[in-house]
Amino acid sequence: MAHQLSIFVENKPGKFEKITKILGEKDLNIRGFSVASSGDFGVLKIIVNNPEKAFEILKENNITVSIRNILAVQIDDNSGSLHNLLNILSTNNINLEDCYGISVAYNKSAVIIIEVEKYPEAEKILLANNIRILNDSEIYSL
Amino acid sequence: MYWEESIETIKRDDLDKYQIKMLNILINQAKNSTFYKKRLFNYEKINSFSDFQKIPFTTKQDLRDGFPYDFLTIDIKEVVRLHSSSGTTGNPTVIFHTKNDLDEWSNLIARCMYMAGVRKEDIFQNIMSYGLFTGGIGFHYGAEKLGAMTIPIGPGNSKRQIWFMEKFKTTVVHILPSYALRLYTHLQEEGIDPKKDLSLKIAFVGAEPHTEETRRKIEELYGIKVYNSYGLSEMNGPGVAFECEYQNGMHLWEDNYYAEIINPETGEVLPDGEEGELVLTTLKRTAMPIIRYRTRDLTRIILGKCSCGRTHRKIDRIKGRSDDMLIINGVNIFPMQIEQILMKAKELGANYIIEVQKENFMDKLYIKVEINNQFFNGTLEELERLQKHIIEELKNEIGVNPIVKLVESGSLPQNEGKAVRVIDHRK
Ligand SMILES: [Zn+2]
Repeated sequence: MAHQLSIFVENKPGKFEKITKILGEKDLNIRGFSVASSGDFGVLKIIVNNPEKAFEILKENNITVSIRNILAVQIDDNSGSLHNLLNILSTNNINLEDCYGISVAYNKSAVIIIEVEKYPEAEKILLANNIRILNDSEIYSL
Repeated sequence: MYWEESIETIKRDDLDKYQIKMLNILINQAKNSTFYKKRLFNYEKINSFSDFQKIPFTTKQDLRDGFPYDFLTIDIKEVVRLHSSSGTTGNPTVIFHTKNDLDEWSNLIARCMYMAGVRKEDIFQNIMSYGLFTGGIGFHYGAEKLGAMTIPIGPGNSKRQIWFMEKFKTTVVHILPSYALRLYTHLQEEGIDPKKDLSLKIAFVGAEPHTEETRRKIEELYGIKVYNSYGLSEMNGPGVAFECEYQNGMHLWEDNYYAEIINPETGEVLPDGEEGELVLTTLKRTAMPIIRYRTRDLTRIILGKCSCGRTHRKIDRIKGRSDDMLIINGVNIFPMQIEQILMKAKELGANYIIEVQKENFMDKLYIKVEINNQFFNGTLEELERLQKHIIEELKNEIGVNPIVKLVESGSLPQNEGKAVRVIDHRK
């Protein structure tokens, strides 16, 4: 199962630099990210090449972080394919908790990170619908 | 039942007469100090409490200004001990004791402990700090006076605490309420059920503000009785007032302290039952008497007789410090009320800051509180839910709608008891 890191951040200048600096010093590279914010604070989600190591290092630096399961799926870089993916999930009653695109230059296709409630089930359904799911090493080496 | 029955159950009339007698002795003694020589210049003999209440108050600032010896009434060679407040700003408050002062204080604590059920046979593990702080040493001497075997272990090192509890079958502890809760998790980790595997019966908690819920929780977790106490270093330390078996208010030992409740704004003495600032006078301390000391602690005298038979009046749980009270759009708020709510949420850390400022002629209350790293599940929805929940709880408790900001762990000043947690920008 692939993982992302979910980090509590306050909305203030210099916020992300702190995180990227800590990770950069340990040769950890951010492969993709998304930010959701609610006024004074928000959550930064990152895909990083070694999430377990990054998690430990951020924790050591007293960063509020948690590690969460994700699926990274490859879709064609056209407008219909995202709709298709979302449609497959909803018709199968898989509740999508979060979703963000991280790379548009991967074999001329896009990579979408999705968070759902039921992973094994979601994985099975997507595979059955010919959606390609990236394995861990593919994601972390994006 | 009683450590000193004749004193603890003395008739009110006799207690009043005794207090008047002691107040006169005290005034004469106090005149030997540089500070009171000036202040008590006009006071010869008092015949009533209203005579006494004409003497001006003594404040913490007076004690600081009188540092180090202005309140000392005797030659330094008669002094056997000094205690001192932490003194984070300005001079510390220093209190001196003669041998006899210490004996009186120890006896008072023995009386408190006996009242809660401690006997000679008990094993007392004193998990409070020793040193300049009065809590640890005060109870230590009290327990020895009572005759219980005392283990002066001090705080920390949970493994060793548990080892002593097991090996020596500790029955009584004196402990910070927050540490009692933490120690319980250590017990769980070691697979020890305090109800079955330990011999604990009684815990004395104090030295930090805590709620009634915390007390009941400790009682429940350990299967013991937990007693509240009240004291302050200027009045020796612990032993000023203490709960009896009924756990409904603290008997204030009126043979040792003369107590008044005043309106903190006007200084007017209030009738029993009304809430105000507690003002205390030492009745027996020779080295350093203090007259009409403004404790800044807000409480009230609990009306009515206590079923235990003791005649010394009871004070209610301390509601807050009069210094700390915030008035927000006309509503009185104590930071402790806010702290109680914040401490209940495990998703929040221990550090917080309260800020008040004027915006469009209205007072705005801001509360910044740190997130607890351990309980962050990684979603914005959960954070928003937490924020909303805290605002709701606070609104119910204090009657004011606060703005709650969740901040990163480690971004606020450390909570070390005395840290400044309230910033009032209106001042
Ligand atoms: Zn009683």
